[in-house]
Amino acid sequence: MDRRAFLAGGLAGGAALALAGCSGTLPKVDARAASFGRNATGTVHVWCRSATQAGLTAAVAGFNKANPKLQVELTPVPDGQYVTKLATAIRGGEPPDVVDIDDINSQLFIFREAFADLTDVVKGLDYFDAISPGHLRLLEYRDRYYGLPYLADNSQLFVNTELFDRAGLDVEDATKDLDSLLAAAKAIRKTGDDVYGWSISGNAAGIIGFVTQPHVWATGVDMMSGEVGKQTANITGNEALERMLEFYRQLWKDGVLSKATYADAGTTWGADFRAGKVGIFPTSYGATVPAATKAMRAKMQTVLIPSWDGKRSFFDGGDNMCIPNGAANPSGGWAFMQYANGLQQQQALPDGGYFPTRSDAATPAYRKKYPLAFGPLDAIEKGYAPQTLAYNLLVNQPSSPYFAMFREAVFGSGAAAALKTAQSDYTRILDQVQA
Amino acid sequence: MTTVSNRRTGAGRPTVGRGVSRPGPSRNSLTHPPRTGAVLVTPAIVFVAVFVLAPLVFALYISFTNWPLIGPYRFIGLQNYLTLFQDPTFVHAIGYTLLYTAIVTVPILALGYFLAVLIRARRRGSTFLRTVFFLPYVVGLTTLSFMLVLEAQPNSGAVNMVLRWLGITDGSTAWLVNGPLATLLICVLVVWAVSGLTMVLVMSAMQGIPDEVYESAQLEGASWWQTERLITMPMIRSTLALSAIISVIGSLLAFNQFYILTQGGPGTETTTIVNAIYNRGFVNLQLGAATAESIALVVVIAAVTVFQFWALREKD
Repeated sequence: MDRRAFLAGGLAGGAALALAGCSGTLPKVDARAASFGRNATGTVHVWCRSATQAGLTAAVAGFNKANPKLQVELTPVPDGQYVTKLATAIRGGEPPDVVDIDDINSQLFIFREAFADLTDVVKGLDYFDAISPGHLRLLEYRDRYYGLPYLADNSQLFVNTELFDRAGLDVEDATKDLDSLLAAAKAIRKTGDDVYGWSISGNAAGIIGFVTQPHVWATGVDMMSGEVGKQTANITGNEALERMLEFYRQLWKDGVLSKATYADAGTTWGADFRAGKVGIFPTSYGATVPAATKAMRAKMQTVLIPSWDGKRSFFDGGDNMCIPNGAANPSGGWAFMQYANGLQQQQALPDGGYFPTRSDAATPAYRKKYPLAFGPLDAIEKGYAPQTLAYNLLVNQPSSPYFAMFREAVFGSGAAAALKTAQSDYTRILDQVQA
Repeated sequence: MTTVSNRRTGAGRPTVGRGVSRPGPSRNSLTHPPRTGAVLVTPAIVFVAVFVLAPLVFALYISFTNWPLIGPYRFIGLQNYLTLFQDPTFVHAIGYTLLYTAIVTVPILALGYFLAVLIRARRRGSTFLRTVFFLPYVVGLTTLSFMLVLEAQPNSGAVNMVLRWLGITDGSTAWLVNGPLATLLICVLVVWAVSGLTMVLVMSAMQGIPDEVYESAQLEGASWWQTERLITMPMIRSTLALSAIISVIGSLLAFNQFYILTQGGPGTETTTIVNAIYNRGFVNLQLGAATAESIALVVVIAAVTVFQFWALREKD
């Protein structure tokens, strides 16, 4: 063998190895067997995202204690790396048994047939009708379910009742639509130089998407339409969106928002509200309640997020649990998923800053224990999150068109040009992702 | 008849005929069988083949597919390359990266040269100053960028506090949410952080110039600037060229500081080429297109580097 042949051989061998390692197709999990989820033994490898690790740690400890022959190993994965690492693991043929995934990313994997079809076992659950429909929708593709919701991270309006009283406002009346909200926020602003009517982190793409979109969704429309894989942009001519942007622009122009809003990247999200200096704060339970003093909690009340015409909605964020095809112990994985969705585990979720995904969790004892954690459960059908392959690109990223549109419409030249640009960018991104 | 003692040419091997040994390595060693050399380099060749060449070939293959991060892929030929410039984000990123490169390259070289002039003399305090000037490079752009995220905050960060104290601004400037301001801030950070490397390279070259050359210039009555322009700069030309190439390549590949400080925003205003490729691969999940963009970038950088070598070559 001469030198040239030697080099060529090495190169070809290396390339063949690389291709072989990346081209496998994982066997599909069959969840229809009667024994699925029963009498499983061994180890269940569960991945969770770091942001929601607190919610799952206690459930894992409880499961391991109750099931000595079936042990769960929990691996937290940084949120920003979750999709990449999971995709790499699946392509490498070594996926975990259960993934506790940001629900908004579920469709990325379901659409590409990476998760097991769990329709039969999910529909067979005796609490199926109590499961959050918004979360279930993110697990649905062509009438099949590919996972089970686990925890909810919902956006709501938190109000400071003390400031409402000081301004002579009734919470329900003052929060029924965008006009009443604007009037209330202005009235609260007048109660003190250092008191603001409203608070939002104006430079945090994720937060803005989380708390402002429900104003639009409540009317029954989204910023995109069509089934997953064939979606189109619905920005220009979207009245609910235009009115929401105008509402926020007015808050900014009238000084109801603090000057810090413009550059606030969310690093101290909620600190002003918890300090009692803000009247209305769109946020999540976890970002507001656990860190608040007992006295401040007593002043808080929650309402769902209204649209301009008086309907209400909230963001159905949180985690879904799915079993990747190719999982080594899918039966054990389903056993753990059922345990994590048990009523007792679900009712403990507010301790970690999250909500249950089962409406039947809101028992009298639960309501008494967590008086600020049942609003979305009582109106669980109003929750929504978009089914799409491009949520991060469209909304969550700092370079996303939704974020750019919001900032331009609120802090910049206004909604007209911002909507036009966003329509074009949404179209380009959807075309690119769905190609 | 002569014998040659050099082992590479065959130790003690008698040569016949022409009276002198053939120069260069012999293919037939008397002390080692012919395959010994191949065996000895095999680990290195395998390493390079598996970890460098195969991934490169594989990357080339991926660039001809629609390879998604998740799911099956298919071969699409040259489509990823033909549509490179149809993505407005990527086109904007190219323009922005070139602008950024143009802004920072000369200041990095100038400041690095200036610092080298300051510390090249072996006088008291030179070593301390060298350490101080080189420290930002050692700390690294990533760490410095994380620090700047905090220090650039309106009303609380050190940048704004200092500017307010100097009476230049009111201290509420939102540096990182304004494209031009963010670019300015990042350029200042990079010039400060990276010029230390240029300083060290240039200083080493300067110290290699014989003192006699400067003494002759002094005797001729050359001014400081004439000495720098007519002696120092020509004699360290190759080092300046190397510094320029390192700086340009680093700027074309800029990623960390932008990812940490602006994440390419606001909008896509400060998105560099590598940011755009990263987003295409790991946010859009389109590895095929992202790999095609990467390969195009490699080719462009290679071309720019060759051009720089040619333009800055030593001229007799």
